[in-house]
Amino acid sequence: MKKQVAKLVAGLTVAALAALSMPTTSGAAATLRIWADADRKASVEKVAGVWGKKAGVTVTVVQKDFGKIRDDLKTVDLATAPDVIVGAHDWVGELAANGSVIPLTVSKSASAKIPSYALDAFSYANAKGNKVVYGAPVALENVGLVVNTKVATVPTSFADMESQALAFQKKAAGNFGLVIPGGDAYHNYPLFSGLCGYVFGKDAKGNLDPSDVGVGNAKLLANAGDIDKWNKSGLLSSKVDYGVAKNAFLAGKAAFWVTGPWEKDTLEKSGLKIKIVQMPKNKCDSVPFLGVQGFMVTKFAKSHGVESQARDLVGNYMLSEGAQTQLSSENGRAPANTDSAAKIDDRLLKEFAAAGKGGVPMPNIPEMSSVWGDLGTAWTNVFKGADATPAKAAFRTAGKNIVAKIG
Amino acid sequence: MTATHTAKYRPSFLAWLLSLFSGIGGLIVKVALLCVLNGVTSWAIIVMFTQDRAVWALATLTVLALIDFVYLVPNRMLPAKFIVPGSVLLIAYLIVPIFFTINTAFQKYATGHVLTKAEAVDTNIAQNVVQGERFFKMVPTRDESGELVLVLVDDTTGEAYLGRASGLQEIDPTSVGVDDFGYTVPPSGFTAIEGEELFAIDAELAAFVVPLEGGGEIRAEGVSGAYDSAPGFEYDAARDVLVATDTGDSFADNGRGAFENSQGEQLVVGWREYIGFENFTAVVTNPMVRQPFLRAFVWTVIFAASTVLISFAIGLFIAKVLDKPKLRMKRFYRSMLVVPYAVPGFLSLLVFKGLLNEDYGLINKLIPFDPPWLFDPWWARISVILVSVWLTTPYFMLVCMGALQSIPTELVEAARVDGAGRWQVFNKVTLPLLLAVVTPLLIASFAYNFNNFNNVYLLTGGGPTVDDQGVAGATDILISYTYKLAFESGKGQDYGLASAISIYIFFIVAAMSASGFTRSKALENMK
Repeated sequence: MKKQVAKLVAGLTVAALAALSMPTTSGAAATLRIWADADRKASVEKVAGVWGKKAGVTVTVVQKDFGKIRDDLKTVDLATAPDVIVGAHDWVGELAANGSVIPLTVSKSASAKIPSYALDAFSYANAKGNKVVYGAPVALENVGLVVNTKVATVPTSFADMESQALAFQKKAAGNFGLVIPGGDAYHNYPLFSGLCGYVFGKDAKGNLDPSDVGVGNAKLLANAGDIDKWNKSGLLSSKVDYGVAKNAFLAGKAAFWVTGPWEKDTLEKSGLKIKIVQMPKNKCDSVPFLGVQGFMVTKFAKSHGVESQARDLVGNYMLSEGAQTQLSSENGRAPANTDSAAKIDDRLLKEFAAAGKGGVPMPNIPEMSSVWGDLGTAWTNVFKGADATPAKAAFRTAGKNIVAKIG
Repeated sequence: MTATHTAKYRPSFLAWLLSLFSGIGGLIVKVALLCVLNGVTSWAIIVMFTQDRAVWALATLTVLALIDFVYLVPNRMLPAKFIVPGSVLLIAYLIVPIFFTINTAFQKYATGHVLTKAEAVDTNIAQNVVQGERFFKMVPTRDESGELVLVLVDDTTGEAYLGRASGLQEIDPTSVGVDDFGYTVPPSGFTAIEGEELFAIDAELAAFVVPLEGGGEIRAEGVSGAYDSAPGFEYDAARDVLVATDTGDSFADNGRGAFENSQGEQLVVGWREYIGFENFTAVVTNPMVRQPFLRAFVWTVIFAASTVLISFAIGLFIAKVLDKPKLRMKRFYRSMLVVPYAVPGFLSLLVFKGLLNEDYGLINKLIPFDPPWLFDPWWARISVILVSVWLTTPYFMLVCMGALQSIPTELVEAARVDGAGRWQVFNKVTLPLLLAVVTPLLIASFAYNFNNFNNVYLLTGGGPTVDDQGVAGATDILISYTYKLAFESGKGQDYGLASAISIYIFFIVAAMSASGFTRSKALENMK
């Protein structure tokens, strides 16, 4: 009896084992795996599919939350790892330092059609201080000043914007002039750059220099009185968060809103009469942060035996006009390729793109993670109404903290 | 008498469950479960082996063999049969993570230090290849003898070449064509490598170099391009240094997971390395850590203690009120009061963040004055405690309802007969008995709230800042402060430092809990 039991267990175990281990032995066919976010999955499938047919490669697109792509890349196992990822340019420094993505060499004919700042945004300096490209930029985004043209006109100067905003605000209770999410370093960047603030300076070779932090720079501090003035006059308040700002503008109760193309559909559906421009120049140009999104080849492509193919897809095909036009039409962002960008016929997308003129790509060096928190805190503290910290002190402290955190 | 007793005997659910495993039916259940376990685990072991996790595979195999042994050898290891499942889970979910944390705490493991050393060498070399001026359109081909040949067309001049491992040879540009996709079509006599075969030669193609006269080489970039380049670094394995080819500058292993030259410049890509107690001492030597530590620590204790005590007090009060036997709709009240506990904490916290907005939040619209809930350091502290109390109270209400029922009514009645008033009964009889039961839970809840990252981070993000500034905000507890240090400063991630600080926090919580348990023993003795 006991021996029979043992035999039975052994037999059944082997059977179960055989059945379960079947799928692991197959599946080494010629496939290239791409991680893309929900917005882009369909278009990436289409675009990469066309390439795959020509190249004789089966392309699998795996859908991930955008932020998860970066996080999961750190822990993924080789068997399920992606060969190509969609990502934001400001991940590049970290991914390159971790060796998670591999350097690409882009041909001159392909890079000629891509704005140099977009390619630079996807570059990270190597030991010799040369820019090494790690990704193919495909989409650009930035915030703009959305003007409700029913209640305000496109401002001709910063002072004009300020006075229009305040006038509208005083017109009725519950009215807002200019709404910007409080304590948010990204959305407030046009104000910051307009007062001559910058995050990182550049070294002699044009690479971002983490030892030159411009958050508390002298020019900004000299102009900081403006911020206190805006707080005092009630132009801006850190109690306005993203939801309050959005709801107010969509209800027609705000004259100006700083937001980006991710709200394009909402703006179109709102029925408001709007025009999007760059925030007018203050002491310096009020340029926004630029976000560039694109494709990168991971270190796993080599182990999967698809490195050459992945390089071709990313560094060659994805930069082409055809691929970028297709991606742009489904994702609602301006394409990076200039030929493709010239063909956009969406008014809002065009206006957002124009509002990004002269913008600064978000710093992509890993040290940027020391910046967001403190810069955001400074913005919160200066627009707290009666309890506000004087802007000079707030930004000086933020600069000091950031330098200390970078270490 | 005995007969009626046995007839009335109803086995507990657990005993009934165990009885399933005896007899022939039990044997079948047992064998079936073991088969599933063996099958799934064997599959997992194979996956581990294929992914070079041999140590893990062997460990899993050992555990599996142990389990089979325990359950298949009859009548020998009865106690083990009960202990094994719990022990295996304990090891897998508690001991292994603790081991990992300790192991990580002794490593340089941060942004730029995640690879192995060998990978770091290769990555540094790859990132520092010096690009030349020329770029070629390329197609990998095989000539008639089957040798790999790159057919190259200069991107700017249009000159065409054959690139072999032996060198470069110019050919007639008109013999090379272009297809609809812009890909190069090789001249006759050469077969383009396409599709499946490109996978087979992937590694070969990536390593293929066409040497150029006068130095430099041409490398393939993908399957349709190539560029001239020169290596920027070479690895000297004998000396374990990376040497810059242009300046001859050498970067040596600095013992801390990076290549460093004599000027102290480090290469971007480093590797994971054991660095002894450096992460532990960093906590003491780094002024950013040291300075606000005491303030964050004091606030953490206040936050955890007041959350627990206030929640307990309110929970006990509600439980006592609901304890009235004649109360109507008791079930309804009870289920309504449990709602904050049933709603996911993340959701409640984010909703509260909106409710507490000073100008636009619902709470300030309902009450006659406008406290700056999340903006003033003191009000923010109050907000964090209030919201935590909201989330924790139902737990203590449930616990107290159970505990109150376990207090024998005779004791209460006896006290009342002796002439004690309501308050005296509660204070002298009910509460001490209750505390004897609940204190361990109070301590556990304290330890939990001590590390309650979500409540702080999602509600206030640790802010607002206090006057002396520093990284820690007014409501930062130790764990949220650790998160800011390890994941929002420096170069983004520092797992080593985070592990070291969490070990410190473990000792703090352990010490406080230990003293708490000693006191609760005293309470038990009061009985």
